[in-house]
Amino acid sequence: MRRPTVLGALGVMVLLGAGCGIPAASDVRVDGKGGAATEAGVISRGSEPPTRTASGSDNGAFVRNFLSAAAGEPDRAYERVKAFIAPEDKTRLQDKKGSEVALNVVRLREAVYTLNSDSTTTVKIAVQQLGVLRTNGTLAPPVATETEYEFGLRPASFNGGANDDRAGFYVINPPNVLLLSDTALREYYQDETIYFWSSDRSRLVPDQRYRPQAVPVERQVNEVVKWLVGGPSDWLRPGVVGLPDRTELINNATGGNGRWEVNLDMSGDDQNGIDQLITQIAWSLGDLTGQLELKIRNNAQPVVDLGERRDSRVLYPYATGPQRFGVYDGAIHPLDFDGEPSGTVPLTPEANRNVVSASLGLAKDRRILAAMAVTGSGKNRYRLAVGTGADPVAVLSRSGTEYSSISRPVWLRTVDNRPSRGLVVADGQLYRFDEAARMYPVPLNLPSAAVTAVAAALDGQRVALIAGGRLYVAAVNLDGGGVSIGPPRELVTSLTNPTAVDWGREDQLVVAGSVGQPAIYEISVDGALETPLRTDLGAKVTHLTAYPTNRGVRAPSGAYMYEANGVAYRSSPFERIEPGRVRDIAPVPTGVRPSNPSAPFFLY
Amino acid sequence: MTITLVASSLLVGGFAFLIADKITTILLDSARSDVRQRVTSGASYAAKQVSFYGQPQEAQLQETIDGTVNYLAGGDPQQTSGVVVAITANDYPNDIQTRTSPSANVQSLISPELRAAIADGKVASQIRTGRLTGETTKYLVYGSPVPTRFGQIELYYLVPLGRQDVTAADARATVVATGVALVILLGLLAALVTRLVVNPVRVAARTAQRLSAGLLDQRMVVNGEDDLALLAASFNQMATNLQRQILRLEEMSRLQRRFTSDVSHELRTPLTTVRMAADLIFAERDEFDPAVARSAELLQAELDRFEELLTDLLEISRFDAGFAMLDSEPTDLVPVVHRVVDRLAGLAERVGVPIELDLPGTPVIAEVDPRRVERVLRNLVGNAVEHGEARPVLITLGIDETAVAITVRDHGVGLKVGEEKLVFNRFWRADPSRARQTGGTGLGLSISLEDARLHGGWLEAWGAPGQGAQFRLTLPARAGDRLTTSPLRLVPADAALPFGGPRDGGPLAIGPGTGGALAIGPAPAGDGQRTEVRS
Repeated sequence: MRRPTVLGALGVMVLLGAGCGIPAASDVRVDGKGGAATEAGVISRGSEPPTRTASGSDNGAFVRNFLSAAAGEPDRAYERVKAFIAPEDKTRLQDKKGSEVALNVVRLREAVYTLNSDSTTTVKIAVQQLGVLRTNGTLAPPVATETEYEFGLRPASFNGGANDDRAGFYVINPPNVLLLSDTALREYYQDETIYFWSSDRSRLVPDQRYRPQAVPVERQVNEVVKWLVGGPSDWLRPGVVGLPDRTELINNATGGNGRWEVNLDMSGDDQNGIDQLITQIAWSLGDLTGQLELKIRNNAQPVVDLGERRDSRVLYPYATGPQRFGVYDGAIHPLDFDGEPSGTVPLTPEANRNVVSASLGLAKDRRILAAMAVTGSGKNRYRLAVGTGADPVAVLSRSGTEYSSISRPVWLRTVDNRPSRGLVVADGQLYRFDEAARMYPVPLNLPSAAVTAVAAALDGQRVALIAGGRLYVAAVNLDGGGVSIGPPRELVTSLTNPTAVDWGREDQLVVAGSVGQPAIYEISVDGALETPLRTDLGAKVTHLTAYPTNRGVRAPSGAYMYEANGVAYRSSPFERIEPGRVRDIAPVPTGVRPSNPSAPFFLY
Repeated sequence: MTITLVASSLLVGGFAFLIADKITTILLDSARSDVRQRVTSGASYAAKQVSFYGQPQEAQLQETIDGTVNYLAGGDPQQTSGVVVAITANDYPNDIQTRTSPSANVQSLISPELRAAIADGKVASQIRTGRLTGETTKYLVYGSPVPTRFGQIELYYLVPLGRQDVTAADARATVVATGVALVILLGLLAALVTRLVVNPVRVAARTAQRLSAGLLDQRMVVNGEDDLALLAASFNQMATNLQRQILRLEEMSRLQRRFTSDVSHELRTPLTTVRMAADLIFAERDEFDPAVARSAELLQAELDRFEELLTDLLEISRFDAGFAMLDSEPTDLVPVVHRVVDRLAGLAERVGVPIELDLPGTPVIAEVDPRRVERVLRNLVGNAVEHGEARPVLITLGIDETAVAITVRDHGVGLKVGEEKLVFNRFWRADPSRARQTGGTGLGLSISLEDARLHGGWLEAWGAPGQGAQFRLTLPARAGDRLTTSPLRLVPADAALPFGGPRDGGPLAIGPGTGGALAIGPAPAGDGQRTEVRS
């Protein structure tokens, strides 16, 4: 009796002790309401391409819409295009996924509509392949060589009852590529400039991207950071550095209401590098204002105000506003225009002689960089003369060799105190020169070696070239004291026979060429976007300079000057540069026809 | 000792429960608050991540959810913490797939109730047991709604409670082991105390019991010089004195009985001689002087009484010596009663006492010694007739399954209070001054009592002054059986209740009596009220 009782009591104790562990299952315990809901409703989106039926029975508009359909977010491009394709032919367009999705951007030259007996319409479009718009927003050089596409149209109500105009058309026999017209690129994409550090990490180099306007504003930061992580455009790679290898954006960059969070998985904890990255992001985000909180592997960096960061880290140090100069009677003279400052020639009169064309630059320490093509020992013999130093420059070095032709030299601007270098084309060959006017040929990987013009961008890391009648852009690498030019990228333009080029804006070139008659176009750095500046020139442009602007410097916007048929002109307002504008010249005796100012250029 | 153990076990068990429960609660609470924090921040992170998307069909939404889940799980799917993060979209099962990191099937662990609570926009948690990545474990499933622009998706953290479970089990095992050890220690202590204190007392109690049962040579062991030793010594002293006294008294009693027996025997021989001489004189009394003849008659009568007395004394001494033997046989008691009545009919007639019989019509068979029963009945009826005061004497015979009973009722002067026991004493008389008419020896009821006891029966008396007396003899129907009840009542039905009893149909008054006692008595006449209760 006693033993069982004791055992029972012990058992009760053990049970009591054992009965209170973590239960195998419990009831649901509610802690309260969840987080506040984000504001509901539709995200603010930009314009999206029209739908299939938007064009009604207008087959021209339908084709235009068809060539716009791929615009927008890439992952649904096939879906949008297939909405235009007749159901039975949808399989002809084979889907690609993810980063494989590429849009063939074409410039529509001509469209021919042939009505067939079976009420279908055959459409032949003649196109110019501009490039391939990739998911990372870059417009890569074209890979397709087709200049013509052919497909059919049939009314959507072909098989059903009445022929209703509102039913629109279907595309039959579609081409097995995604086509995007240049107008659609202009209309449904926003061209954005993002920046990468030059290979010596001294300057930010612009890189052009296209952001679908369908992407909501909230995702802009996300897209930009993804682009930065993805690295620069191919042609730019020799001159810039991307983010460290294996850098990844951790999930999405989020934010709103003036505060943005970017979380990167990035190797290296170099604080200077991170600071540069913040500057890079700040400039790449365009005009976006607000606070940026950058996290490197979840380690938060100090929060930075984007606007303040852009204000404190200017893109390029501009010394002054542009001053216009021109060559008059073999000497450089300031050009005087109302409302614009005009400087003095930073050369001694002794040095300022025999000038054919010139390029003056201001280095970081306010040294004057002067490079001039000067006449040589005989007719049509030219040398390069280079002089640097404090204003005024008195001593010039001259190149040892004389050339039968020599273009206007350009300086590759740097922001440090390294010896300045420049580029010049002489006798169809691209040369680099140093401050002692020594010239070294620069090898170019081009089918035609006959280079006729060169222009350097403000950042000094990109050049535009004209060689063999084609327009190229290329990255410049200044590492190791030399100058090497990366693989040039040809730009497909409407202009033929380009004759002169210069950088008008960060990602825009001012190109002189011909569209039937001589014309000046502003062309984006990838060639896709063209804006005619002047199409009524009477003569071939032989000389063109522009004052490059960027987001840091606004005015004067798009200023350029050119020389055609021995006469110099200026833009905005467009006018001929009269001899009266040339300062510091001796009065022309009456009766003598005054010579014209030539080879105008900007000092900045 | 058992009570000590049970009580201490319960107490220790209670404490063990409290402590283990507290530890578990603390562990769970800390886990809960930790996970809740993670869920809250995770939900706000996820909400930011999906805030880009206005429709659940957007292709990058699924990627974002994948990335978010991986990020919230720590980014590395190979991590071994066991925490599983999951995002589900209850409302959009076709557009958004459930994602977990590390990949596991969490559906079984997310109960419909939890799902419903979270679908209702609540942050909620539940403990569930299941198997996700490794072995079956308890999981704390914490869920939170993640608001998006198109509706709501759900974020779950499934945190294994293995560590907490092990800790709780450890704590519990420690507590239980401590408790068991404590209880065992208490048990040992209690056993020790019992050995030291309770056992001697128990031995003493047993010794005292044996002593009281008559084993007078029982003694306690005296150990040491403590209180218990003192007790044992005193006890032994007491037992020795008691034993000596009892032996002395026994010896005296034995001598007394022996004396009585011897005297009786020694008197018998001369009495026989005297008797023979007296018989001779009595036979020749007609030839003597009338005065001498009267003396011879007196001598004859007193010799008869003397002989009777000697017989009774010898009988008593036989009982005292323990030589009385019961000669039981099945006997019908009805003829026995008739025989007794017949033999006393002469005396009854002489004193004018009618004898009434109330006997069953059937034989009343019992296993008794008929000679002794008859002697008892003769004695009782004789006494009744003697004290009958010329009123009837009633003899009643009763039987039931286990016993037979005979009552003898007279209506004489009765017995005073307390005399019911005294009547059985040897040579006791109710009124010593009263003349003896029947010449009883004064030993009759004593012998009758011994006879009844020899049968294992009862002989009891009842009497009340002025109401006569009743004697009841109860005998077991089978020899050797124990008696429990009697078939007949001891107190006769016509006896008045004490204090006069209630008058016929009259009310009783209950009220304060003398000395604070409660007095019950007849209610005052003419009161008119049958019952009145006063407080």
